[in-house]
Amino acid sequence: MSNIASNVSMPSTEASADNKATDHAVGNRSDHVVEVRRLSKSFDEVEVLRDIDLEVSSGDVVTILGSSGSGKSTLLRCINWLEKPDRGTIHISGQRIGIDENSRKPMSQKALAKMRAKTAMVFQSFNLWPHLTVLNNVTEAPIHVQGKKREEAEALALSFLEKVGMAHKRDAYPFTLSGGQKQRVAIARALAMQPEVILFDEPTSALDPELVGEVLGVIKSLSAEGYTMVIVTHEMDFARAVSDQVVFLEKGLLIEKADPETFFTQPKTDRVKRFLEKQH
Amino acid sequence: MTNWDIVWDSRDLLWQGFLNTLSLFSVAIALAFLLGCLIVYRLEDPKTRWRLPLRSFIDIMRMLPFLVLVYLLYYGLPSAGIRLEAWWAGLIGLTFYHGAYFAEILRGCRVTLSNGQIEAAYAHGFTPSRMFIRLILPQLMIQARPLIGNQLVYALKDTAFLFIITVKDLTWAANSISATYFVPTEAFVAVIGFYWLISLVMEMAIRYAGRFGHKRGFDHV
Amino acid sequence: MDASAWPMLLEGAWTTLWISGISIAIGIISGLGIALLRIAKIPVLEQCLVLYISLGRATPLVTLTLFIFLTAPSLGLNMDRSLAGILALSLNTTAFNAEVWRGAFNNFSRDQREAAMACGMTSFTCFRRIMLPQMVITSLPGLVNEMSFLIKGSPSIAVIGIVDLTRVTNRISAVTYEPLPPILAAAVLYMAIIGGLIWLQRIAERHANRLAI
Repeated sequence: MSNIASNVSMPSTEASADNKATDHAVGNRSDHVVEVRRLSKSFDEVEVLRDIDLEVSSGDVVTILGSSGSGKSTLLRCINWLEKPDRGTIHISGQRIGIDENSRKPMSQKALAKMRAKTAMVFQSFNLWPHLTVLNNVTEAPIHVQGKKREEAEALALSFLEKVGMAHKRDAYPFTLSGGQKQRVAIARALAMQPEVILFDEPTSALDPELVGEVLGVIKSLSAEGYTMVIVTHEMDFARAVSDQVVFLEKGLLIEKADPETFFTQPKTDRVKRFLEKQH
Repeated sequence: MTNWDIVWDSRDLLWQGFLNTLSLFSVAIALAFLLGCLIVYRLEDPKTRWRLPLRSFIDIMRMLPFLVLVYLLYYGLPSAGIRLEAWWAGLIGLTFYHGAYFAEILRGCRVTLSNGQIEAAYAHGFTPSRMFIRLILPQLMIQARPLIGNQLVYALKDTAFLFIITVKDLTWAANSISATYFVPTEAFVAVIGFYWLISLVMEMAIRYAGRFGHKRGFDHV
Repeated sequence: MDASAWPMLLEGAWTTLWISGISIAIGIISGLGIALLRIAKIPVLEQCLVLYISLGRATPLVTLTLFIFLTAPSLGLNMDRSLAGILALSLNTTAFNAEVWRGAFNNFSRDQREAAMACGMTSFTCFRRIMLPQMVITSLPGLVNEMSFLIKGSPSIAVIGIVDLTRVTNRISAVTYEPLPPILAAAVLYMAIIGGLIWLQRIAERHANRLAI
């Protein structure tokens, strides 16, 4: 790890992230980083997710599309158990999240927290912690969740802040930043966990149009480096450019799953055809 | 005879104290609220010469303990040749002190009121005083409801200070029963019960007023 | 009023300040404790705390101070005047502070808590590292406001014979037969103390508003 501190060049980080993912895959039930099986969830008798199956392989970028209210954000939030699904299973690198496999009971807080540390999330409304500086926002979890030493965490944090172009703001407080800057810091915060998968929940929906580009640019560069990501978004061109796989949700059902070329040029269902037409 | 029987036998004293507290409190807060409204109305006019004296009055009251004001009225004024009975000193003290607080509360809410509806009122030919009474004040009262409620409880509690300048209020009753028969626990528990009762009734009244405000769409308070 | 009155006034001011200061410190910490116990919603205890807060807010300080001071001996407790004063002020201010703390907890941003959970923090780590530091900042204006109310209520301890800044004026005028000057001087001292707190509150508000963005 310490070589990252001295050597900020990206390939080393990328390599270590990849190694980690493959390490975990060995001997596990599958080599998927995220595996969702028959997932269902209701809010007050309204079914928002029905029997969803989804797998994300290491290094893949999966985007979830669908009109608002289709359940795509709920699906994302189930993956790190911010929402508790009613039925179905979710495995992160082969390990089940939320339910203890031995006792069949809900996981202890501690065990759940440990699982969540393997995933990271970037929120629509950034959710930076306003009482901490940019640097401390990024080092907070590595120090207090993963138990890293402060110097190590700071060196790591700076390398990620550099990557998202925010290192010069390390001592600023969130309230002084623009939306795009906040979101880039939030991405650095997610990267600093060195997670096996990063979940993006409409990362550009709360941004002014002119700030969307800088955030999408950062996410694109991450995909080029081989990060595993699940992205909920409304940006079609971006989804097409960055995805390895596109899934489409409609009223809680996963109705289409394809590679981006097929999805955008030869959609199988009428629903997706209409959806794509409306975008232009 | 239990200690509670002794308290029960002194119920006349307690009742007298209760009435004294209640009458002082209710007359004083009615006058104080009126005073508060008048001050805010005066401050409506941006060019008024009253601005500085009224602001200073509010600020001084906010920085002074109530008992010190009462001391000024009861012990201090005789030096200037004005001698007040304890009850009157208490009433005047409560009125001015809490009048300033009411003014501050209403002024705080007034600042958040939109200017558009005031222009609309002028455009419809309202005079400043009619507009204040018909349009501004009702909104202020609905919006400031929780703060007014708090202030009422503070005013009630401040009446107990008047015991120190010999007003025969509830606390005085408890103290004299306890001193005569040596039953401090029971006497004070009874009196604290009275205070609690009054504030619960006020709380309910404020909550009822809140439902009224809710119906009119003032939800953000 | 001659020069010898000033040392007496300052001594009274000091008495007011140290008794209030100790009560404020006790009130802030126990207020947080009570707020957290209420948030935990433990049956029976919850109802007791609600009752305490309701009574604590409704009971006048003068009455409470007398009650504690006069009742303690009949319970076999030997209570020093200052202790009774501190107890009364603390019991009162704790009830108010508990509500300030609870408000800060309940209004805490759900989004931020989710961000902490998503990073793998346990509830306790999230409380200690993310919530509590911000609750301190958002509660501070309310807590400082409550401090000035406590100082304004502190003359109530005079009823049990503590010579605070208010009661000392009686002492001075008993000698000089001129009550007005010492009362005015005491008023000025109170205004300096409470004015200082109001100024602090304004600074605290500015800080708290920053977090709200």
